[in-house]
Amino acid sequence: MEGLKLRSFRLRIALMSTTLAGVAIAGFSIASWFMLYQAKQKDFDAEINSQLLEQFNKLRPETLAKFNIKSLVPEFQHVSPSDIAVLVVDGNRDPIYQSDNWSGELNGEILWKKSDPQKNPDPVDFTLGNLPPDRPPIGPPPKVELDQITTKHTNTGDWRLGVGSAPMMGIAIAINLRAINPEMNKISSVFLFSVPGAMILVAIGAWVVSASALSPIEHLTTTIRRVTAQELDQRISVNNLDIEFQEMIQVFNQMMERLERSFKQASRFSADAAHELKTPLAILQGELERSLNQAPLGSELQQNLSNLLDEVRRLSVIVRKLLLLSLADAGKMRIHQAKVNLSEILIDSVEDIGILAPELHLEVNVAPNLCCAADSDLLLQVLRNLIDNAIKYNLPQGWIKIHAWLKKNAVAISISNSSQDIPPEHRKQIFNRFHRGDSARTRKIEGVGIGLSLSKEIARAHGGDLILDNTPSGYTSFTLTLPVGAQGLAPLQN
Amino acid sequence: MHILYVEDEVKIASFVCAGLKEQGFLVEYCDNGDDGYSRAMDNIYDVVILDIMVPRKDGLAILKGLRRAGRNVPVILLTARNELDDRLEGLNLGADDYLAKPFFVEELIARIHAVVRRVSGERQNILSVGAIKLDRITHKVTCHQQTVELTSREFNLLEYLMRSPGRVFTRTQILEHIWGYDFNPNTNLVDVCIKRIRKKLEAVDGVNCIESVRGVGYRFGNTDSSWKV
Repeated sequence: MEGLKLRSFRLRIALMSTTLAGVAIAGFSIASWFMLYQAKQKDFDAEINSQLLEQFNKLRPETLAKFNIKSLVPEFQHVSPSDIAVLVVDGNRDPIYQSDNWSGELNGEILWKKSDPQKNPDPVDFTLGNLPPDRPPIGPPPKVELDQITTKHTNTGDWRLGVGSAPMMGIAIAINLRAINPEMNKISSVFLFSVPGAMILVAIGAWVVSASALSPIEHLTTTIRRVTAQELDQRISVNNLDIEFQEMIQVFNQMMERLERSFKQASRFSADAAHELKTPLAILQGELERSLNQAPLGSELQQNLSNLLDEVRRLSVIVRKLLLLSLADAGKMRIHQAKVNLSEILIDSVEDIGILAPELHLEVNVAPNLCCAADSDLLLQVLRNLIDNAIKYNLPQGWIKIHAWLKKNAVAISISNSSQDIPPEHRKQIFNRFHRGDSARTRKIEGVGIGLSLSKEIARAHGGDLILDNTPSGYTSFTLTLPVGAQGLAPLQN
Repeated sequence: MHILYVEDEVKIASFVCAGLKEQGFLVEYCDNGDDGYSRAMDNIYDVVILDIMVPRKDGLAILKGLRRAGRNVPVILLTARNELDDRLEGLNLGADDYLAKPFFVEELIARIHAVVRRVSGERQNILSVGAIKLDRITHKVTCHQQTVELTSREFNLLEYLMRSPGRVFTRTQILEHIWGYDFNPNTNLVDVCIKRIRKKLEAVDGVNCIESVRGVGYRFGNTDSSWKV
């Protein structure tokens, strides 16, 4: 879970929003539950007070003994009789009536007011108009003092206790707070269902919203993906983007600019260097060629000149390859396409292998007339390189297999040879520039290590690829694929 | 054969001119594009060789101007610059061949012959040195009127050597002309191929017509003047 959370920004946003919303909803629910509870309690308090007053109105010291709780119960709606407790006392504050469920603990809580008419600050005025018509008062209305209603904790639960004192009598009404419970339970269950529901809605909403929030990033990703080495001049337009992303894109664009500049400098350097090297090489080569033919036939001088010419030639090949690579890097490797018969080229190459390495066992399986649109010079170079390697890195009395076949819209050529295993760390770097296998570094095997790198670039410039196959131990295999009609290039002629 | 050669690099021009003159070509040389263009427009040449990077009017511009004016003179481009682009553009503009610097003068000569042959048709199809006759169109080789079967590589090699009898070719030069520039100069391809040609020709003629030059390479024929054309 932790890993998942860390990995998906979207999931994280959704989870965080859901959690926040959940906390808020839960807090709100708890607060409103308490407020509802309080409101309910106040309702009871008001009811208690009004009942107290009504009882004082009905009762006179003379009729106290006739008090019966049954007359009181119907007045409290939604409260069961067992939750209503009443205590009635006379002028001496001796109990006259006590309901069955009256808890003795409540007695200690009651402080009956002494009857003192003068000190009564706010005597309730019972005028005749307020009297219920059905039971006319027997004596004059008593002066009643109502205590603040308080919550009392007893072993039978919490009670809301209201106390009314008059000079000749006192009435205490207590309502057990569990009377609120049924209604509060109802509210609780509403919350219990609605809160998870709301959370699910929020989670879905957050998931959807985070997707739309992340959509500019997806757009950026696709744009940035287009920016490859070939298209370093690509910039992302900031016009249609949200303000929040604009700065990021500006920074990205600036970075691309710096990258493009240094990349161009680097590739121009190698192109310039290659070019600058070519003229002196041309002079060297031409003069050597001329001197060679002027030297006495078979003389030591002629042999030396011949060796020099070979070295100059080797230098030229390296310079040429470097230039090609720098072109490929700059995305400028343009190819002159024509229809090339790969089968013929391969058969010619097979003839060469027979001369170059007669001791190797050769297996050739080339479908006839495999053609593709390609630059034949460059393609020849790739095949040469692969065949050359297959010979160079072969085992004594080893073998070479050349297979070529048509697959879908591409021609595939695989050239494999018996060989020592390529160590995994070399496999990864095999297409890197100037990488050479250990055995090649000893200079027994010719080459500077740009052949495969260049071959891959050439294959890619044709819209194909060159890969090192995963093969079991004992042999090495490269597969070259070339689209039959290379993409984005002139259609096949002829 | 009359050749116009436009090249600003004097040192390169000197050995190229010398090499072409040795072949018996009549070479006119100039070192800038304007001169080259006006000469190519005013005179008739068999071949025009243009270096792409020449001052004032570059080789491609000269080529473009010539083709626009309807001049179909064969053009060979030379360049040290961005090879692929130049080749592509040059071929699109109507160049007949293309050679990247550095190049062997012998290779340039071979290209000149090939281009002229292509343009002039069948006139120069037959190359004959001593008893050996070589038909470039039919790829047939005869020795004392007997046909000698050669593979295409063997034929090309023999033709290359026969074009300049007595001239020494290094293995690298031969390798590059027949197999392309990308082969390892230490291979024995050339030697094996020469051995095969010798064997086939000796079977008919009884004479070894390809001479080994120790530590250097090969040449066609020997110092005997009877081998000269």
